Amino acid sequence: MRYPIIILRKHFWDCKLYKVKGYFCKMLRQFLEVLVSGITLGSIYAVLALGLTIVYGVSKIFNLAYGSFFTWSAYLAWILTGGHFKLNYLIVIPLMIPILFFIGIGMDRVLIYPLRKRADWQTTTIFLTLGLALFLDTLAQIVFGPRVKSLPSIFPGSIEIHSFTISKNTIGIFCLSILLVILIELFLSKNRIGMAMRAVSQDQEGARIVGIPLDRLFSYAFGFSIVLVGVTSVFVSSFYNISPSGGWNPFIKAFVVVAFGGLGSTKGALYSAFILGILEAMVAWLIGGVWIMPFWFIVLLILLIVRPYGLIGKWG
Amino acid sequence: MVFRKKINRQVSILIVIFFIFAILPVFFGNTPFIMHLLVFSLIWACLGTIWDLVFGYAGILTLGQLGFFTIGAYASAMLTTNLMVSPWVGIIFAGVVAGIVGVLLGIPCLRLKGAYVALITFAFHLVLPTLIHRGDIIKTGGTKGIFEIVPLKIGGYVFNQLYKVPWFYVFLGLTILVFFIIYKIINSSFGSAFVAIRDSEDFAKSLGINIYKTKLMVFGLTAALAGVVGAFYAHYVGYIGSKILNFDSFLFIWVIMAIGGVSRFPGVLIGSFIITVINELLRGFETYRLLILGALVIISIIFMPNGVMGGLNAIIDRIALLIKKGQKL
Repeated sequence: MRYPIIILRKHFWDCKLYKVKGYFCKMLRQFLEVLVSGITLGSIYAVLALGLTIVYGVSKIFNLAYGSFFTWSAYLAWILTGGHFKLNYLIVIPLMIPILFFIGIGMDRVLIYPLRKRADWQTTTIFLTLGLALFLDTLAQIVFGPRVKSLPSIFPGSIEIHSFTISKNTIGIFCLSILLVILIELFLSKNRIGMAMRAVSQDQEGARIVGIPLDRLFSYAFGFSIVLVGVTSVFVSSFYNISPSGGWNPFIKAFVVVAFGGLGSTKGALYSAFILGILEAMVAWLIGGVWIMPFWFIVLLILLIVRPYGLIGKWG
Repeated sequence: MVFRKKINRQVSILIVIFFIFAILPVFFGNTPFIMHLLVFSLIWACLGTIWDLVFGYAGILTLGQLGFFTIGAYASAMLTTNLMVSPWVGIIFAGVVAGIVGVLLGIPCLRLKGAYVALITFAFHLVLPTLIHRGDIIKTGGTKGIFEIVPLKIGGYVFNQLYKVPWFYVFLGLTILVFFIIYKIINSSFGSAFVAIRDSEDFAKSLGINIYKTKLMVFGLTAALAGVVGAFYAHYVGYIGSKILNFDSFLFIWVIMAIGGVSRFPGVLIGSFIITVINELLRGFETYRLLILGALVIISIIFMPNGVMGGLNAIIDRIALLIKKGQKL
């Protein structure tokens, strides 16, 4: 008669341990998922922030219309991958890069260049880019309608490791973003134009003395940043949706990342992108997704009180 | 000397405009719609001038005026709806609350470069709707907003929605008060201090002006003023919701600033009037209206950096020159 009790007891203990182990496993799995999404977010923010910080470093202007360009690039990708064209991503992304570049150069030449001659160009440019942003947002709302749209996943499907699923899209976007970051770093250090950009961001007068054509470089930097924001928006829009005023959140995040790392510093932007990306994923997991934007705002406030120069500490 | 002449000219233009405004109800008093339009143009004019004070004269690029406006409106609405106090108390309370929030916001960001302030106040503006929605614990009304806000009372007379003329005079009085305060500030030594800061920080510092404290005071003061205007708005419309923070209104003030002219004192009043009228004329175009307004901003920044007032100033200068030439001959 004792045997059943012992067996029951043994099973009982096993059950309890299994429950604890199960709970622990679930937490671990959630934590890993959060970590993965945090790192992926970090890589995306890195590219976004690099675009903003390069433009600021080179031409010392804040492109407040960054978010609107984000939205428009997403819509452009939406047009190209659906409806009439139905192109594959392999064609769409390389096609969008030169288009975005020329749009960026055009915007800089037409809108910003005439303002540079004025004494108060920094504030006027901010004014202008904000007006441009609102104009583009409204235009997007008219042309595409207020309903949200979505892009197909770039890498459909998912992988399973030990009952732990990651969508292939996440991994693919992460790899592409890291690749982009490496390419940008190479561009800045090896390419002539990249080196010229670094020179201008360090010392404008010196660059002019050496003969670097400043105006052309400003246009290149702007076009470059539009390319970056465009490609990033395609990545992001493949798992979030597109809406006319949806570009402000990425813009604010990019700005906080840039400020956190130090205005004009690419290394700082990289570090802070990953740190803040993982933190954001943690916040979303522990407190709730609605608090994401207030989180970013609080980070900004704390940053300004404690260390306004950011991690790397260059005013730029 | 030239400064004084310009001030007098500004004051005389202002007085003329206010006089015209004051007698408008005689003609339009029976059309509530036009009265409503005029009230709105006065509200926007106030907000625009407050913004002009902090941006055009003190050189701090804030994008938070609407945010402080909303905070003031909500503060007064929440106080009067929940604690049953007189709306006038609510308005003063709103000013104080908005001013405190302004100072709190200004403490970290006024130490830094201009673009930072712009971005932080903009982020503040974007975060505010989320905070309002989550803030139902202190009865912000969540996503629905606060309804049936108590209208103003003077003595035994209760203002109501239908007869707009008294409201118009209230707002005209408010506008005159705001303009008067701002005028006094600009012409005081305090005003010269922050104009000095705007023009050349190092020089101002060498004169002994405490830059940080001055900026903080301007920031807090304009926030408080915006809050007061917001409170009046809340009691006028009788409803406040987070929709006021949409880009609609934001773009509006932007356009008024751009067209009215930055740091050209009465320009904002004319600009606001013009824009309100244009806005109504454009209503037939639905969403294109916002688009055209946005395009107007861009165009006026590039081509008309001094706004309408700048143009008026130029014309008056030209006429004065002609008169002088005529006198000489």
